[in-house]
Amino acid sequence: MAGPSASDVRAALSLGEPSSSTPPHASATPLARKPSLRKPEGMPRELYQLIGPSAPTLIEQFAKPQLKQKPNLGSGGGAGQDGNAVAGSSKVKWEWRTFKNGARSDGLKLSHWVKADTDPNADYPFAKYNISTNSYVYSQDEYTRLLEDKEWTKEETDYLFELAREYDGRFYVIGDRYDFPNGSHRSLEDLKDRYYSVCRKLIRNRPWGGDEASKNQLLSSFQFDKDREVTRKQYVASLMNRTPEQIAEEESLYIELKRLEQRERRFKKDRDELLRTMLGIESGLADIPDEDGLSASASNNNLSISLSTSGLSIDTSNKKRKKGNGDVETPISATPSSSSVIQLSQPQKKQQSAKSAAYDAAQCIVRTDVPSNASSNKSAHTPVTLRSFKIPFIKSSNQQKVTQLLAELKISNQRLVMPTRDNLAKLEGLMEAANALIDTKKLVDKVEMDLNVARARLGMAVEGGEADAAPAGGSASASGAGGQAGVETQTPGAMDVDEDAEGEQEDPVDASGRGQSVVSTRSTRSRKQARRSMSISSVDTAATGAGNKKRKR
Amino acid sequence: MADRVRVRGVTIHRPIIYGNVAVVLAPEEKALLPPNLSDHTHRWTVAVRSAASPPDSNTVGGADDLSYFLKRVTFKLHETYPNPSRSIDKPPFEVTETGWGEFEVQIRLNFVTESGEKGITCYHHIKLHPWTLNPEEALNPNLELAAKLGPVHSWQYDEVVFNDPFQNFLNILVSHAPTALPKTKRKPVPFHVTTLTQEAIEVAKGAGAPEFTQEMEKEEGERIEQAKKQVIAEQDKWRAMLIEKEKELEKLQKLIAEQQAT
Repeated sequence: MAGPSASDVRAALSLGEPSSSTPPHASATPLARKPSLRKPEGMPRELYQLIGPSAPTLIEQFAKPQLKQKPNLGSGGGAGQDGNAVAGSSKVKWEWRTFKNGARSDGLKLSHWVKADTDPNADYPFAKYNISTNSYVYSQDEYTRLLEDKEWTKEETDYLFELAREYDGRFYVIGDRYDFPNGSHRSLEDLKDRYYSVCRKLIRNRPWGGDEASKNQLLSSFQFDKDREVTRKQYVASLMNRTPEQIAEEESLYIELKRLEQRERRFKKDRDELLRTMLGIESGLADIPDEDGLSASASNNNLSISLSTSGLSIDTSNKKRKKGNGDVETPISATPSSSSVIQLSQPQKKQQSAKSAAYDAAQCIVRTDVPSNASSNKSAHTPVTLRSFKIPFIKSSNQQKVTQLLAELKISNQRLVMPTRDNLAKLEGLMEAANALIDTKKLVDKVEMDLNVARARLGMAVEGGEADAAPAGGSASASGAGGQAGVETQTPGAMDVDEDAEGEQEDPVDASGRGQSVVSTRSTRSRKQARRSMSISSVDTAATGAGNKKRKR
Repeated sequence: MADRVRVRGVTIHRPIIYGNVAVVLAPEEKALLPPNLSDHTHRWTVAVRSAASPPDSNTVGGADDLSYFLKRVTFKLHETYPNPSRSIDKPPFEVTETGWGEFEVQIRLNFVTESGEKGITCYHHIKLHPWTLNPEEALNPNLELAAKLGPVHSWQYDEVVFNDPFQNFLNILVSHAPTALPKTKRKPVPFHVTTLTQEAIEVAKGAGAPEFTQEMEKEEGERIEQAKKQVIAEQDKWRAMLIEKEKELEKLQKLIAEQQAT
């Protein structure tokens, strides 16, 4: 007897006949004869018979796989295929062509193959992927005001930011290359923590042009919780380092827990039933969770998701757990009553506020959270005011300059056409920004003065050291700086204008003009000329320089 | 007594406007004036009203009756007027007079007793002559031309803000929701006269009174935002410059230190 056939199996399992139009016996007989012909090699006969009438589809699978048609790459050969002959008539020509990569700053010329009909002057299409991250820089003032940290010196912070800029914020690279001379050891988390906290502080404290939401969004993108990150990594490591015994133990404990819970639930059900039948009341004993297990499965899913995102291969136990979620409870939701209450009440509250928001807007009501310790005495009460009384006022010494600046922007800080709450808030933001701008300008002026003093001293020093040929590197950079100093002193008018126009807010001409003149002196003037201008600068600032000279000699 | 509880954390405001409208006296009106006032050229009305204008009317603001929270408005006129302190106890809260010169009016708002609030004071400079936004390009049309331009308006929008109101006062306020300002301008007239062209006169004629709109608020808000963006862009530029200069200074100082060491 030739083993059980497919129809035999069907009969044994009391399944219907296969849904083929032909009667089973008619199809079975040719099959019984043919198999020796069509049976694929390497397949036991018994198995082949079990497959039954659906065999041909399987055979097809065993047949030699058909490859995708060769794509026509427009090679001129024509390759003999009919379809290609047609396409071949419109030959695509490729060219070896140099191209300019807009993302490169060094102007290196590379070549690549391009279709001949593309525009030779087109931009390199991949240049757009060279995006540089917006790196933050801070001034000395900002550092002392906001960024002081006893763990970090300014130099090391500078070094970190320099690295972050150089490697586009790729922290694994940064952590690898990080080697600050005489610095303590920094872990990757230390670096990230410092970097992100500095960025956050800068964002928070600099005037912000957009709305609050976008600021918060940016802030949250710089969020970094060092402790949590460390714990996470530890956790992942411990998860990776479990021994098979530990895994097995965990597994058995888990199953045990499930069993206990199930038993408890059954007990509760029995008790409920008993109470209902005996006394006709619903038992008020709702201390054991219902079977929905929603929150449990959700939290468990979260767990597995977080595991999988952290790059772990989830072992079999986890899969089993997932399967179990449908009918078993996890201990996480052991106190579901409280959690479900919270979940319920929150959306309700939100709904209410959404409804009443329109009402509040129509009634011009603004609700604020009352501090719980608010005393109810009369003195705490803010009396009625007109909105315009609350127009912000800059208390610092910059007040006049702020007013001037705003006037140039055609905004009055004394009076608004529509002094509404929003507009006043906006005005306050503007005035803060203006104040900060003026502070920055003051600082620039101060540094500028320091620079001039330094240049003057350096100019003299170079002059004095010219005889005994100052070190090459030092003199080169000094001459560059000296040249700049010369320009500065030669155009004192420009500086005056700049200072007068504190409130002036568009003077790019001035700034760029200065930059240009510096460049031009450095490039076109001979070094001798630069030296001469240096001496001019030292003469001009003789008042400050003379003292040094005397002291030096 | 439960009514006399302050509702904490609630700030409620009511939009108001205050200001004046002035028209040039016609010759026949002028003839009716008593001889001692013969030098008066304008009739003006100074008023405190709700911000929204009633539809199809030529008054600025006043769509709502404000007497539900305003008990009395006192206008303190120039001393040359007979009994210059005019108290108005019921709407409309306004004083109409004739005069020849602009001056500052002190306006004192007193609130209903339920509010438990003291009065507040604000000031308004009565405008008789067509004015522009920019004081430098003041136009001083003669009276005939000014008469053609129609009434001169000068109004200030403001909001009366009540903090933590008493419950019963809050109830009163809430039962009188203010009419919302129209979203966009319904009338082409501005509050001020920008030019004295024929066109402007045509617009001013018969176009009715100007009004405050939500659009104006938004426009002003945008103007401020725009300015802030400008300031911040400038700030970024200066900060970059500052940082650059600081670096340079550091370099120079290092050089100096080096040179002094040698």
